[in-house]
Amino acid sequence: MNQLARVAPFRERLWEAVVAGDEYAAVAAVQDALADGIGEEAVLLEVVAPVQETIGTDWAANRISVAREHAATAINERVVAALALRPRPDGVQRAARGRVTVGCVDGEWHSFPARLVAEVLRLRGWQVDYLGAQTPTPHLIAHLHHTDPQAVLLSSSLPTRLPAAHMAITACQAVGVPVLAGGRAFGANGRYARALGADGWAPDARGVGDVLAGGLPRPTPAAVRQAADDLPHLADQEYTLVIHSKGPLVKQTLTDLEDRFPAARSYTDVQRERTAEDVAHLVDFLACALYVDDAEVFTAFLAWTADILEARGVPARSLSAGLDLLARQLHDFPRALNILNEGVHALDARPSTPTADHETTA
Amino acid sequence: MVGRAPGVPLLVCAFRGSPASPRNAAAHVGAVWSEAPCPVLVVDRHGALVQLNRAARSLLPRACGGVRLADIAPSWLSDAHRHMAAGEPGVSPGPLTGSIDERHFEAYPSPSAEGGVVWWLVDGTDRHRAEEALHSAQERSSVLAEASSRLLATLNVPRCMEVTAAMAAEHLAEAAVLVAPPHGRRHTLTYAHRGGPVSQVTRKIDPRGVAGLSEALQGYPPVPARWINPDDIPDWLIPEGFTEPVGSVIIAPLPGHGVPAGALVLLRSSTRKCFSDGEEAFARLFAARAGAALSAARLYTEQAAITATLMRELLPPVLERVHGVEYAAGYRPAKDHERVGGDFYDFHPGADPTQETLVVLGDVAGKGLDAAVLTGKIRNTLHALLPLAADHQQVLSLLNGALLTSHHARFATLVLASVSRRGGWVQARLTSAGHMPPLIVRNSGEVEEAATRGTLVGALPEVSACTVETTLAPGETCLLYTDGITEARGGPLGDEFFGEDRLRRALAECVGMPAEAVVERVQMLAAQWLGGGRHDDMAVLAISAPKTGPLSVVGGEVRHAHNRRSR
Amino acid sequence: MTGYVPPEFSVEIAEEQTRCTVRVAGELDYDTSDELVETVVVLLRHRPRTSAVRLDFSGLTWIDSSGLSALLMIRRTTSAIGAVLCLDNRPGFLDQRLRLTDILDHLTGPAMSAAPHGLGEEDDTTRAGVT
Repeated sequence: MNQLARVAPFRERLWEAVVAGDEYAAVAAVQDALADGIGEEAVLLEVVAPVQETIGTDWAANRISVAREHAATAINERVVAALALRPRPDGVQRAARGRVTVGCVDGEWHSFPARLVAEVLRLRGWQVDYLGAQTPTPHLIAHLHHTDPQAVLLSSSLPTRLPAAHMAITACQAVGVPVLAGGRAFGANGRYARALGADGWAPDARGVGDVLAGGLPRPTPAAVRQAADDLPHLADQEYTLVIHSKGPLVKQTLTDLEDRFPAARSYTDVQRERTAEDVAHLVDFLACALYVDDAEVFTAFLAWTADILEARGVPARSLSAGLDLLARQLHDFPRALNILNEGVHALDARPSTPTADHETTA
Repeated sequence: MVGRAPGVPLLVCAFRGSPASPRNAAAHVGAVWSEAPCPVLVVDRHGALVQLNRAARSLLPRACGGVRLADIAPSWLSDAHRHMAAGEPGVSPGPLTGSIDERHFEAYPSPSAEGGVVWWLVDGTDRHRAEEALHSAQERSSVLAEASSRLLATLNVPRCMEVTAAMAAEHLAEAAVLVAPPHGRRHTLTYAHRGGPVSQVTRKIDPRGVAGLSEALQGYPPVPARWINPDDIPDWLIPEGFTEPVGSVIIAPLPGHGVPAGALVLLRSSTRKCFSDGEEAFARLFAARAGAALSAARLYTEQAAITATLMRELLPPVLERVHGVEYAAGYRPAKDHERVGGDFYDFHPGADPTQETLVVLGDVAGKGLDAAVLTGKIRNTLHALLPLAADHQQVLSLLNGALLTSHHARFATLVLASVSRRGGWVQARLTSAGHMPPLIVRNSGEVEEAATRGTLVGALPEVSACTVETTLAPGETCLLYTDGITEARGGPLGDEFFGEDRLRRALAECVGMPAEAVVERVQMLAAQWLGGGRHDDMAVLAISAPKTGPLSVVGGEVRHAHNRRSR
Repeated sequence: MTGYVPPEFSVEIAEEQTRCTVRVAGELDYDTSDELVETVVVLLRHRPRTSAVRLDFSGLTWIDSSGLSALLMIRRTTSAIGAVLCLDNRPGFLDQRLRLTDILDHLTGPAMSAAPHGLGEEDDTTRAGVT
């Protein structure tokens, strides 16, 4: 029987337990998988991780509520904790391979992937300090001074945290600790990890284990630098100006939206706020794309948002209107205009999904 | 170094500024060179000396006509002549240089009759020495600069010692050992061997066994290297992999902030030349930098340890499921570089499932450490008042009295919750002392505000409050929070408060969620609302009646043990 | 990052014979409350015969717990010289906070000592007034 077929029934059981919010059934499913001879690492990465992934995709597809998503994640966290607290066989030497720090970038709340990495590394014999979700960079650096680990594993799922990640990366390197970046924010193949000067990147928990096993050299004093040294395009100030004028940009876009779609004027406060949040997200991701100078960050966000909106019966073309209105305000920003333009193309290229409610904008 | 591109005529260099060019004046060469102040040798193509001037004669006293150049001049010159006479290109592209009797010369050839060569020797001793001195000064200052930047990067003491030992082995000696001041009777020893790994051990040693080491560790003036007998160096001072006999030793004190930061022992094998005075002086300079960095790291570590110890009491406790009720809490101080602030919560589980668990969440006016110290006082006082927890008003009156002072009007607002499980339901007595009343998330999706009101504590002579009782059905949650959540300023427009309405709307979506998921949700929404903006301390605490599981078994010990293990 | 810039904080004093008015504008919070307390303390030190202090909050845009703390300190100072404290033109958020913490009556009540008993402040009810 192949591994997928072996883990599949436990995955199914865990999924059902997690969705039902049944912690005991969830822990039991995982314990039975271990009893069945599936290794701990495989249980974490092939049973627990895919279930967590499904929680995310089901939320995006509007199959479960945000509350369910939080509840399911909480149960999954408890499952991982239960695994971590299992008594170890005496023969297993723990922490024989040295010490590493695992943390999430400041402002990053999705800590589950980092948690899994921490547990996998523990299983592989590392002494792991897991700092959890949204670690303020000053705390992270104080921790590094205190423990002098061999490496920092910095996790981020949200691309909008990339500027914060950059600050954390340069700060860690300045105190002589190499940084291994991981998580969706760093892009396919870790392109943004490289752009931000990380010492390494890994696509998943096993990859992290492999990179660490290979050893990461310590950054030299020559690695000490300012953010702008990595990203010379920041000198055009477009990123800074867009981030600083986010509030006014959003306000103006909302006003213009109401002019363009009179129906928007009869929105409830909650609807208006949702729209404002969507526009704010557009600005956030635009700023992020300006930061790394890569329209892909922005177009990927648009595609994802369009799917989310359509799953909730909102037409994605409202996004195009938002892009257009932002472009009118940013006419003096060539890089921003270019990115917005790429966004329009990306939305145009999507297969159109007709939705009934054409009056609702983003 | 002064370099020369291959192919550039040597004579251009040799006679820069001189009135006569020997190439053009070949016929009169005899008249010119014999009076030249620099030594000049005329050598035939077979290597025999034809003629030499006065300066050359005083440089090479044994030289006279007919003698072979190889017999009276160093090989660098005679070899060069042989190559030249054979018409071979020079071996090195630079100017031909070498020493004669401790003086340094540059030799410039010019062709003479019948394949012979006229050698003009220019004394470059002073320039050569100056260049050497400059080069080594440059190298040393770059070593010092590198040492500073590498050492200043870290505030970790073991790391600082590693960097010091590794750099010393790389730039000052073949091997280096850093002996740290004793901890009790043990010393941390950091070994580095050029090209090898750095290792660190802590062991009992006797520094008095090594001349100069105990003096260095006590901060006495350094003992000169020449006084240290390499044979006296004990095995424990020799890094693994350093197999040759020790030839010379420097022991440099690492000066600290008033107290020594350790000693640096530098070793060279007997096959290498001994440390010079200059090297010894440089080693002391390096040790001074390392000592300063090491002391700063030690100071930071000590301060951090003191802070951590003092802070341990002030850090919020970890909440967990107790007696069939879920508790969870989260805290974010106003200043992200601090771990404590003016918001606080505490948790006193009942002695057994029939006893109430007391939970408190509150907010002291102010921020940072000053406020945190007051939260510590409040938590300690409430701990002492636990036996009276059945009467919240009495607890608050006593707490108020304990906090009153004339120095400031730093008050606190707080909520007390006494919680217990009765059957499948959770009962809570709630009292607000000037604090936002708890919000209760019902299974219907309604969010109720607990009807409790009271006076803040710590500022007025008398306080009063009213307590309410409520019951949570399985899946329902009671949320305690501080105004840092509702007053989080930001949002899509950048300048709005998060506000109570948004909090209520968010909570309405939290029906049936486990306590920690509710806390996480609220914290996340508030943080996202803030964006990167400034904020006050933020604390949230959730009390939930669990929906599923062994909750019908009140206080079952087996289940309880299981709960703890599974968290 | 997103720049919320708070309005400028200011304190203005208008003195009459036995009364003075302190106009508070902007945000009274952790960063600004010391300034207000300091201003009132210095003012009353030079005018010990003041019978009433009016804090005019018409320009107040926000108050936090440190701000409330400042009001309690001011109340102690006014009580010490037997002056009454009036909180005029209170915006809704200030009223709400004063109600929540249950200190409105105390702040604006008769000018008796607000200090804890036995801490050396004399009670002075002779000039008690109602606001």
